[in-house]
Amino acid sequence: MRVFIRYAIRETFTNLWRNRLMTLAAVLTVAVSLSLVGAALMFKQSASQASVVWEQQTKVTVWMSPKVDAAELSAVQSQLSTSPYIHGTCTYQTQQQSYQQALLLLPEAESSVLRPQDMPSAYLCVPSVPTDASILISTFSGQPGVYKVTAPTNAIHHMQQTIRVMQFVAITLALTLLVSAIVLILNTIRLAIFSRRREVSVMKLVGATNWFIRMPYISEGFMQGLLGSGVAVALLTALHTWYPLSGNEFHLSTSDLVGTSIVVVLVGVLIGSLGSAFAIRRFLDV
Amino acid sequence: MIRFENVSKTYKNGTVALRDVSLNIEKGEFVFLVGSSGSGKTTCLRLLLREETPDSGRILELGRDIGSMRKSRVPYLRRNIGCVFQDFRLLPTKTVFENVAFAQEVIGRPRSTVDAQVPQILELVGLADKMNNLPSELSGGEQQRVAVARAFVNRPLVLLADEPTGNLDPTNSEQIMNLLDRINKTGTTVVMATHDKGLVDRMRRRVIELDGGELVRDQLRGVYGIDDPTGGHS
Repeated sequence: MRVFIRYAIRETFTNLWRNRLMTLAAVLTVAVSLSLVGAALMFKQSASQASVVWEQQTKVTVWMSPKVDAAELSAVQSQLSTSPYIHGTCTYQTQQQSYQQALLLLPEAESSVLRPQDMPSAYLCVPSVPTDASILISTFSGQPGVYKVTAPTNAIHHMQQTIRVMQFVAITLALTLLVSAIVLILNTIRLAIFSRRREVSVMKLVGATNWFIRMPYISEGFMQGLLGSGVAVALLTALHTWYPLSGNEFHLSTSDLVGTSIVVVLVGVLIGSLGSAFAIRRFLDV
Repeated sequence: MIRFENVSKTYKNGTVALRDVSLNIEKGEFVFLVGSSGSGKTTCLRLLLREETPDSGRILELGRDIGSMRKSRVPYLRRNIGCVFQDFRLLPTKTVFENVAFAQEVIGRPRSTVDAQVPQILELVGLADKMNNLPSELSGGEQQRVAVARAFVNRPLVLLADEPTGNLDPTNSEQIMNLLDRINKTGTTVVMATHDKGLVDRMRRRVIELDGGELVRDQLRGVYGIDDPTGGHS
């Protein structure tokens, strides 16, 4: 067994070195494709984490008509306070406060014509769960004295959709590259097998077991996958460290990075082994 | 040790290589396999190495039916069979020592065994002083002796030789023949396919002749040519 292991390791590294250009090509392709896979995974985690934060921060704003009377106002208020879809109590924003907000948000040319009495007062409510926002919108829209009910759900959906498209593109690209990585590994190992066909025929002749003959090539593919995924993990760590969006809701924890890295390494080892398995089946007649 | 029972073999391209061949070789025998090119000699050796399987009939070797042997067992069969070829089949990038050691390493022999046995066997074939040379630095006869050393280093029970003197001059042929003879004297069964009339006639060993895939002659202490009247055997 010791002889076997020593032999396999020695042969693996001899082969890797002998075909170093092909090895480099295979390793880099694995690295690039796995970086994309890892980046897509991290992006997905990042985005879903951000979505949760955004949804938790979703506030439903019930804008009251500027000319609302006291009866209508208290009717809405009592309904809001008893609604099961609302978390805690709603904050009341006076006309004066709305006016102050408008001054901040609008350019002066527009805000200068506004008067506080033209502004709607509003109730700011947090839904029990993010999806309750739509129920609140349909319940309170059109009630007497209510001007409009708004929530930023559309904006969030828009954002999520964009993220999904970007993920799809990244994953498709990564899968294409993964396939080419497998083909490159297969080809490298085919070359290794071809350059050692004399050795292989002698090995068969003197009774080396099939696994003894195959092992160096299997571990060669394995090593290429491993090296490639190592480079990919380094790139992902760099991406994580110098993430342009760090410090906000997109930022991923170290454990997320470790999880992604494990997936990346596993995929790398898998495609390496797949490539060598195909090459051995096809070109190594044992 | 080796028994063919009505063995036939036809290759995929339609060539009939062996036709209903039956023969029996005892342990420790030395057998010449003669016949013109394409008579089935090499097929016999390939069957014995289990590089091919017979279409019909049975081949018993070392007490096993090798036709029905599982593929995963074949390497272990081959560890008991040494093999020498006309074209030596040495590894050009390895030294004489490494070439012989390779045969032991790849079947998992520990370093200490290799280091002890390889010089011994190279001594036996008379190449102890060329241990660190590459095959390209050796004469044809010396290369073939390395090949014999490699075939014999694992102490096989059977040694197959496919025209081992085919590329050699008479002096070197004689040396290889003597070497195979000495190996045979250690109790190893030797089967040698050859075209070398001089050797066969001089050695006076058992001769099996094939012609067009059929066994046409099996003589104890025979000669190469068919015109010799020495006693029959089957």
